[in-house]
Amino acid sequence: MKILIADDSRVMRQIVIRTLRQAGHGGHDIVEAENGREALEMVRTEAPDLVLSDWNMPEMNGIDCLAALRASGSQVAFGFVTSEGSDEMRQRATSAGAAFLIAKPFTPEAFDDALRSVL
Amino acid sequence: MNLLTFLDGASSGPSSGVEAPDLEDLRSVTEDVWMALVGEADPLLPRAVPAGAPFDAAGAWSAATTITGGWRGVVTVELDEQVARHLTAEMLAIGSADDVTDGDLADAVGELVNMVGGNVKSLMPGPSVLSLPAVAAGRAAFTHDVQVACRLDLAWRGAPVRVSVHVPHPSPTDPHTGGSR
Repeated sequence: MKILIADDSRVMRQIVIRTLRQAGHGGHDIVEAENGREALEMVRTEAPDLVLSDWNMPEMNGIDCLAALRASGSQVAFGFVTSEGSDEMRQRATSAGAAFLIAKPFTPEAFDDALRSVL
Repeated sequence: MNLLTFLDGASSGPSSGVEAPDLEDLRSVTEDVWMALVGEADPLLPRAVPAGAPFDAAGAWSAATTITGGWRGVVTVELDEQVARHLTAEMLAIGSADDVTDGDLADAVGELVNMVGGNVKSLMPGPSVLSLPAVAAGRAAFTHDVQVACRLDLAWRGAPVRVSVHVPHPSPTDPHTGGSR
């Protein structure tokens, strides 16, 4: 399985990769994007099975990236990893076609639960 | 870091401007984020600081994020430089804080305020938008356009950490605030 991690913070991308490993999902291929626009392009070029995306990013944010993906016909599994975990944000994520939203701070268990829902 | 630009036009905005997160909620959010990033071994401890006292670390890093919409405010974190350096090393899982670069520091401190700010946003009326974080080497400076609504002084490994929430002053022209404070 190939996972695309989109976050403008290199530190956070490292934490997400580490947490995936701690959650028992360390065997996947990982590719990284620094913003939504790069993620959009990499879905086309890398064909990931899952996108784990921050919400708030420069260039293109996560929700606009998801909307652009769905508008282009892509049905790649997409989940948010974001500091904004309110009901409103969860509803927006679900309405846009996200499979899950993991709120920061998170635990390996939260990642395991979320990934099991799309594996 | 001058925060005036974060709240340009804030006094004429639609927010109530005087509503603020509860101090205990801010403490809970901050401790949860900190524990997730650095573990439970070295918790943040309370630190008594006189009201109005500037952040007193000899060297500091600071970061701010702005919430605009149904509620408006600025969430700021200020860290002693060694705290920032060790926090960054913990977040990157690198052995020595001496190996941390300024770029790493800016990234990590920005992510810290993003996490605290995002959780504060979830506590307040919405819908609102959380800005990208702004990070600077040095303590934060606040203009007279904003007032402190909530301030948390803590210590980590004996060095100071501050998390604060500022809101715009109420405006006499804003029907939500009425300039009554």
